[in-house]
Amino acid sequence: MNKFIKWGLLVLALGLLGAGWWLGLAWAPPDREMGDVQRIMYVHVPLQWMAMLAMFINFVAAVAYLFKASWKLDSAAEASAEIGLVLGTAGMITGAIWGRPTWGVYWSWDPRLTSEAIMLVTYTGYLVLRRFVEDPEKRATWSAVVAIIGAINLPIVWFSVRWWRSLHQVQSSPRTVDPEMVLPLRVSAFGMLFITLFFMAVRYRQALAERQAEVALPDALPGDVPMSASHNPSKVA
Amino acid sequence: MSTTPPRPRAIGLVAATLALLRKDLLIEWRTRARLNAIIFFALATLLMFSFALGPDTKLLEKNAGGYFWLAILFASVLALGESFRVESENACMDGVRLAPADARAIFLSKALGNTLLLTALGALLVPVMVALYGVRIVTSFMDLGLILLLGCLALSAPGTVYAAISSNARARDVLLPLLLFPLVIPALLSAAKATTLVLQGDPMNQFNSWLGLLGGFNLIYWGVGFVLFPRIIED
Amino acid sequence: MMTLSTLMLLAQVGSGRIQGGWGYVWACYAITIATLALYALSLWVRRPRASPDAKE
Repeated sequence: MNKFIKWGLLVLALGLLGAGWWLGLAWAPPDREMGDVQRIMYVHVPLQWMAMLAMFINFVAAVAYLFKASWKLDSAAEASAEIGLVLGTAGMITGAIWGRPTWGVYWSWDPRLTSEAIMLVTYTGYLVLRRFVEDPEKRATWSAVVAIIGAINLPIVWFSVRWWRSLHQVQSSPRTVDPEMVLPLRVSAFGMLFITLFFMAVRYRQALAERQAEVALPDALPGDVPMSASHNPSKVA
Repeated sequence: MSTTPPRPRAIGLVAATLALLRKDLLIEWRTRARLNAIIFFALATLLMFSFALGPDTKLLEKNAGGYFWLAILFASVLALGESFRVESENACMDGVRLAPADARAIFLSKALGNTLLLTALGALLVPVMVALYGVRIVTSFMDLGLILLLGCLALSAPGTVYAAISSNARARDVLLPLLLFPLVIPALLSAAKATTLVLQGDPMNQFNSWLGLLGGFNLIYWGVGFVLFPRIIED
Repeated sequence: MMTLSTLMLLAQVGSGRIQGGWGYVWACYAITIATLALYALSLWVRRPRASPDAKE
């Protein structure tokens, strides 16, 4: 049953992503100003949304862990941070490529870009911390604290960078988006959502298995357990 | 694991904080090793900025506020790491934890101690900056002092939390800056901007908004550190 | 939402429509697909082994 859900999720995700991207690349009209370059939106925006979602899950799991410690919450936090980092990195790279033809530069110190770069560094630090602490309980508590502090920081970073840049940036006015652009965006966003959920499910189970192996390790060490058994759960540091 | 066991509250939070702070300052005063080390480190950093950029006085003058805060930030990494290394020798942290004092008092005393150290460092660096970079204090010394104090408070609160974590992890020298630098960007940015305004005049009256940002940053992280710190050092 | 406002900002930059630029579009899709595929591969490589005595 579980296997069916898992692989069904993957098939659904790939199908929706394929359909959404096909709609975006072939069916949707080119943008009025940006022309075909605007088609990057259908890959960039879903990536960013899902990175946000993953980071939000990480924050919720971290807060929940501090209230009620459990390996499940710790594993969920680890899985979501890693996946958020992967999606966010891809989102930032596609955003930079998008910036090149439209702004003329790959990188501008736009508040959104800057905050995202800082977010990625923050979560890299989070994952590095997890690698550098051996005791699973300490690792879980400390990384939860770091995750909460890092998440609180993101809105502050956003505001401060906006202020920092505000002197020479014009606030833009709303503009309607062609409904024919909304459909591909929506379909690819759902595709990305399902692929994120798929990754999350797989990574979560891995993390949980690792935790359980780590916790079980002291009991397995003394005695005549074969080497392969005690080596299996060890992570590549 | 999920809840801290109730500790005997023999002395109040303030009294415990002051006692611990006094202990840390006494240790610091007996050797002065940490203060000396970070002073020379920060001075070297200020000098290195001049060398790295060449003798372009205009450039140095324009960016003095940023270099000043970068020097303090780099020195703060040394100072923060050292503040918990003192405790890890001879398992002093266990002794402090066993004392019938609130764990939050440890946070407050360490963070206040680091603030004092960094503020002292900053106060020493100001004349050096004025001399090296050829800047003048345009608005007032009070403004600069206020920014210095708030900026050091802002570095110390999250810095103390992260130093407590990284001092117990492997590769702590890498971990502390990796965790701390992205976090203190808002503080660094507002402190550097405000310092630049003090040095170059503030025609558009932006000083107070940067001060407000720094104040808000402080409120948030002193609060968060105060609440979360006991979870870090619990066993 | 984020890109709607990015779009708005972008809309102010140029008055004429950007011509071509399919290279950038393909690069973005290729990078994303490669990233997702590599991550899936890394998950596969790190998969928990079924049980200690099943293999080796």
